[in-house]
Amino acid sequence: MAGFAAVLRKDLRLEMRGGESLVALVALSLLVLVVMVFALDPAGGVRDAATAAGALWVALIFAGVIGSSRVLLAERDNGCLRALILSPLDRGALYWAKLTAAFIFMAIAEAAAIVLMVLFFNLDFDWRLMRMAPVIALGALGFAALSTLLAAITGRVRAGDMLLPLLAVPLFVPALIAGAKASGAALGGAPFAAIAQWLKILVAFDVLFVNAGWLLFEYVIGEE
Amino acid sequence: MTAAAPIAARGLCKSFGAAPVLRGVDLTVAAGSAALIIGRNGAGKSTLLRILAGLWSPDDGAALLFGEPSAALAPAGRRRVGLVTHQSFLYPNLTARENLEFFCALYGVAGASKQIARWLERVGLATAADDRVRGFSRGMEQRLTLARALIHRPAALLMDEPLAALDAEGVAMAAALIDEALAGGCAIVLTAHQPLAIAKLEFALYEIVRGRLVVRPAEGGAEPRGAIDPRQPAA
Repeated sequence: MAGFAAVLRKDLRLEMRGGESLVALVALSLLVLVVMVFALDPAGGVRDAATAAGALWVALIFAGVIGSSRVLLAERDNGCLRALILSPLDRGALYWAKLTAAFIFMAIAEAAAIVLMVLFFNLDFDWRLMRMAPVIALGALGFAALSTLLAAITGRVRAGDMLLPLLAVPLFVPALIAGAKASGAALGGAPFAAIAQWLKILVAFDVLFVNAGWLLFEYVIGEE
Repeated sequence: MTAAAPIAARGLCKSFGAAPVLRGVDLTVAAGSAALIIGRNGAGKSTLLRILAGLWSPDDGAALLFGEPSAALAPAGRRRVGLVTHQSFLYPNLTARENLEFFCALYGVAGASKQIARWLERVGLATAADDRVRGFSRGMEQRLTLARALIHRPAALLMDEPLAALDAEGVAMAAALIDEALAGGCAIVLTAHQPLAIAKLEFALYEIVRGRLVVRPAEGGAEPRGAIDPRQPAA
């Protein structure tokens, strides 16, 4: 637990100090949402909830690829990842710390993206956003788990930064569809049952990739 | 029952493609003793250290730390190992103090605050304790690297050209730290390009020649030994 706390505290401290990941996440979310607004409805006016939800999830994926990969890539400066591997730190604790940091960065970026979505798509700041919260949280957790595992794998090869989105986005498609549908239903005021069926898929995705990451991380992060 | 040597290699072989780098390297370093391994560029010094540390697997043979395969060392064993490589393992955006705090937390160092203050003083970085490593010179970074590798009082220490980038004062400081670690029972393997005229400290001196570890007797002496001379920092 002490190792987990030390790595997480260090990652958050580095991010607070540097801020590269969060700035990139929010800037990319803004860019994607602006492009989507003009691409989908150049004349302006009221946009529907499903379109807004789709745009939000596209923004989240682009932002997530950057944010979650940074958490591990930052460890490659000065060989810091080697130090972590050789330290007494349990590799499971390292995985949970990296996953938690990636989730926190994504959650902050998503909060900003939701505000931007509401503004750009002429939505209201009301209770429907609260109904969307568990959907977004589960999506962020799933993407953080998937990309933390994949970043550990792709970080070992040349041009791993390029490879990460090529692997992560296709694998995230089931959660992406479920997330976009659930978010659209939540924003459109649909009954909870309509959201719940998509939430189940997100929960299954999260359980699968959080556990896969936990079990495999030790092997993919180990010997060079 | 005799305790296993802190650092040992048994018939280590390693090749990169068709080029063999290490051919049957045998080495045993007992507690409180040190081995200085020299060799030209590309001789395999860093490769040997990385295998001993458990970062790479040998093609054949075994690298052992405290009698256990180094690549599969349990956390309790890893807590007893210190490593200095060409990479500092330091976070550029953290201060010197914060870097040491992080490593103290990883290694469970008791009384971390006092230890950090003491080690920053020892390596001559007390006045730069709250400066970010990003702004450090290469020599300052190497001093902090030595503190990072030693602060948890390792029983086995692997040092790849630890004197690189240090000035004469820094070499003397490093020699004193190594001497202190040896006196405390630490087993040390360190590498250099050439026999360092290392005053005060004594090492078993070896050279890697065409992938084999050859014992090099000191000039005029039967015992293999080397010495660190503060006037001749490593290349």
